[in-house]
Amino acid sequence: MDEKVFLSRRRFIFGTALTLTGVVSGFIFSDKALAELIILDEKEKVLGLTPSIWVEITKENKVVVTVARSEIGQGVRTTFAMIVAEELDADWNLVVAVNAEADSKYGNQATGGSTSVRNFWTTLRSAGAQARQLLINAASQIWGIPAENCYTSNSFVYERNGTRKLAYAELIDKAVQLPVPPANSVKLKSVSDFKILGKPQKNIDEPFFVTGKVTFGSDYRVEGMKYAVILRCPYIGGSLSSYDDTEAKKIKGVVGVYRLSEGIAVVADNSWLALKGRDALKVNWNRGPNANLTTDQIFDKFRSLVETFPNLSNETVKEIETIYEVPFLAHSTMEPMSAFANYKEGKCEIWAGTQNPQNARTTVASALGISENNVKVNVLHSGGGFGRRLNSDFVVIAAKIAKASGFPVLFFYTKADDIKNDYFRPASLHSIKAGINANGKPTGFFHRVISQGDVSYVNPHYSLPDVRNYTASHSFGVRTGPWRSVDYTQNIFVIESVIDELAHLAGKDPFQYRMDLTNDAKLKNVLRKVAENSKWGTELPKGWGRGISSFVGYGAYIAHVVEVSVSKEGFLKIQKIYAVVDPGFPVNPENIKNQIMGAGIDGLSTALNSEITIQNGQIQQSGFHNFRWLRIDEVPEFDIEILTTSDRPSGMGEVGFPSVTPALCNAIFDATGIRIRRLPIGKTPLLKVDEKENKSKDLEFNAYPNPFETKVTINIKTNDNKSSNLSVRIFDILGKLVFESKLSSDGTSYHTQLDFENLPSSVYYVVCEFNNQLHSFPILKKN
Amino acid sequence: MKILVNKKEYNLNIDPDMPLLWVLRDILYLTGTKYGCGIGVCKTCTVLIDGVPEQSCVVPVSYVENKEITTIEGLSADGNHPLQKAWFEKSVSQCGYCQPGFILQAAYLISKNPKPSLDDINRALSEHICRCGTYSKIREAILFATKE
Repeated sequence: MDEKVFLSRRRFIFGTALTLTGVVSGFIFSDKALAELIILDEKEKVLGLTPSIWVEITKENKVVVTVARSEIGQGVRTTFAMIVAEELDADWNLVVAVNAEADSKYGNQATGGSTSVRNFWTTLRSAGAQARQLLINAASQIWGIPAENCYTSNSFVYERNGTRKLAYAELIDKAVQLPVPPANSVKLKSVSDFKILGKPQKNIDEPFFVTGKVTFGSDYRVEGMKYAVILRCPYIGGSLSSYDDTEAKKIKGVVGVYRLSEGIAVVADNSWLALKGRDALKVNWNRGPNANLTTDQIFDKFRSLVETFPNLSNETVKEIETIYEVPFLAHSTMEPMSAFANYKEGKCEIWAGTQNPQNARTTVASALGISENNVKVNVLHSGGGFGRRLNSDFVVIAAKIAKASGFPVLFFYTKADDIKNDYFRPASLHSIKAGINANGKPTGFFHRVISQGDVSYVNPHYSLPDVRNYTASHSFGVRTGPWRSVDYTQNIFVIESVIDELAHLAGKDPFQYRMDLTNDAKLKNVLRKVAENSKWGTELPKGWGRGISSFVGYGAYIAHVVEVSVSKEGFLKIQKIYAVVDPGFPVNPENIKNQIMGAGIDGLSTALNSEITIQNGQIQQSGFHNFRWLRIDEVPEFDIEILTTSDRPSGMGEVGFPSVTPALCNAIFDATGIRIRRLPIGKTPLLKVDEKENKSKDLEFNAYPNPFETKVTINIKTNDNKSSNLSVRIFDILGKLVFESKLSSDGTSYHTQLDFENLPSSVYYVVCEFNNQLHSFPILKKN
Repeated sequence: MKILVNKKEYNLNIDPDMPLLWVLRDILYLTGTKYGCGIGVCKTCTVLIDGVPEQSCVVPVSYVENKEITTIEGLSADGNHPLQKAWFEKSVSQCGYCQPGFILQAAYLISKNPKPSLDDINRALSEHICRCGTYSKIREAILFATKE
């Protein structure tokens, strides 16, 4: 790839922006603004044209787009590059994206709220159009013809009615002498003229992802650097009492142990030695005021904050009053938090995968007691973000360690550190009262959100009368923060489940019920289309069910149908998921598809299995083994339709999440009659009522204790005394075999003790075959 | 000790117990192999050892002495392995972090089974985690790479 050569020529300007090549040294504070018109090399030779802070055209005829939002897997580098390239009429194959460092001149750089494309749409289009006009002006002067007689295509300016053409790079020497046309003087393209936007484009970074060349935050390397980990207090609200680092410091390669306000940092020659050093620390903790805190206590407190609702209107003939519960969630990014920091002579340079580089800059400056001007934050690729990287905790820790140790240092959380020290999606309890009149129409919707982490309510996106919202919160000191689609994650699950409950209460079809509750044409449209695509209303096999749900937010509309089956044993299978999304204008349909699939799997994974729990004042989960995520063999086929309904784009990173969970739960209700009001679903056995009743005529099952913590004793009595062994198989909620056990016979009874120590908390099904009959018994491993 | 990574020989003076993952990342600066969980659960750190996928976070470097290691950087000379091309064609990656592990596991799969079915693919990759949810695209890309 010639990027290496190309970027190395930019070194003079960009200092350490050489990350594609891997090993770089240097600690350069470029005082040159990026927004220069001319880029020169050491010999003052013109290298590039930079008509704005957003785009540069190089002598190699590359178009370099500066991306001032962070790439966390949402495709922003590709999207931003596309927007500039479109208006610039650039050859898409010649476009390169570079990340902006933290600087207020770029506006708000926080990557959150699905705002990137919406906020930068006009700015980046103008930047492309201004650059294009500047190049046209240059060509017109070179050729001595009016600008109107020039046109652009694929990184060339052409003479209209002539044969002359010049590549953009060939126009640089002339263009640097001309004024940049003001933004209000250039005309933006009409959507019908788009060649790049609105068409599926491949990820600009894909060739580097698949060859291991992308530098993520944890990949930054310089000669002489050290690696650091931290030991933090495991007790929520606890603190360090005393520690002994004698043994840690004896380990060859451990270069220092430092006490920070966040914990004890161990710095070593490599990551493994840092971890060994940490293991050798002897520590005493003050367990603090929450030493006995449990998740049950938190939810008990929530329940105590439930208050009586007022009465629904007089026309109410039926009503529901119920409680929904939603757990804490970790972000659990694939790449645990990490950051590189170098501190020298009052200046600090950061390289990190952060969603919030400006905040990182401010907080690092404040933590180190230096001016923000002396902190440089460079943004690298993030191995997933989902809101986690809006918090700068890990960047600050890296900076503090660099300052304390004097080494350039890569600080990282282990996977367990990362989960335990997360800023969790808040836990919440939702108290609901809603009713219908004689025609089945809603008469009111009362919703009280009680949370730890200040979850706000969300108004239903249907036209409902007498909507009343209330909030209450109580803090136990559990850190919370934004999580992909934030308050919508809980609220839409609740609202769309309750709408479904009302539809069933009214004896109406859940799709038609929703259609009748809105006059919003765009909402009706996505609902109608998803119903069509999923063949809503057609017969399904026995044990199958469909659920529908929708969401309006981030400037977009989306509707989901999830199709599930629940087997006789209680095994849930997600058969298929349908989505129809209306983004307004789909900037990159290929990326939208990826986002809708990704957010869909987020929705399914968290709904099924995921939960952060607290025992003895500590977070219990520590990795993917007990904070599970769906695997490839568990994910359904997706059917995604992307509409084009306007000229304006909307946010696509989060919109695919909120309506998935309720669609899934509504489908489970359709299949089983079981209403999921508490997440994750894995807490509720999905054995249909009729299956439960006739299951044990010739088999008596007993599990003790149930729910259990780690071990459970199974006793099975049969009605005849065959002395053969009885084989039982244990399955998870998706019907994956967890283990098998042979039960020894004692006349007519069989018993065994099963150990679930290494398995996540969830329902499991004990399945055995007796007299050619399959019997399934749910047992619950609690937290 | 001597180890052979991507056909290049390295002479290292290191603790034989050090996990291969950290040798690759911190000593050789081959950062294409990623740290995911460190305990052999997520398979992000997968490399090929004598052609067979292993999780480098739970393999001590002593184990690979005299064995041939292939990391994502060494899978092909210039990113032209059929799977790398298919990944590009299908625009698989979102954050991209887990993809080297998936690609190396898939490379092993198609070296043993040049025409894998959907079930074969699901089975072979069932222990890998992609937190962004690119699974459908991964399936598509492997089928695309092996269709003719």
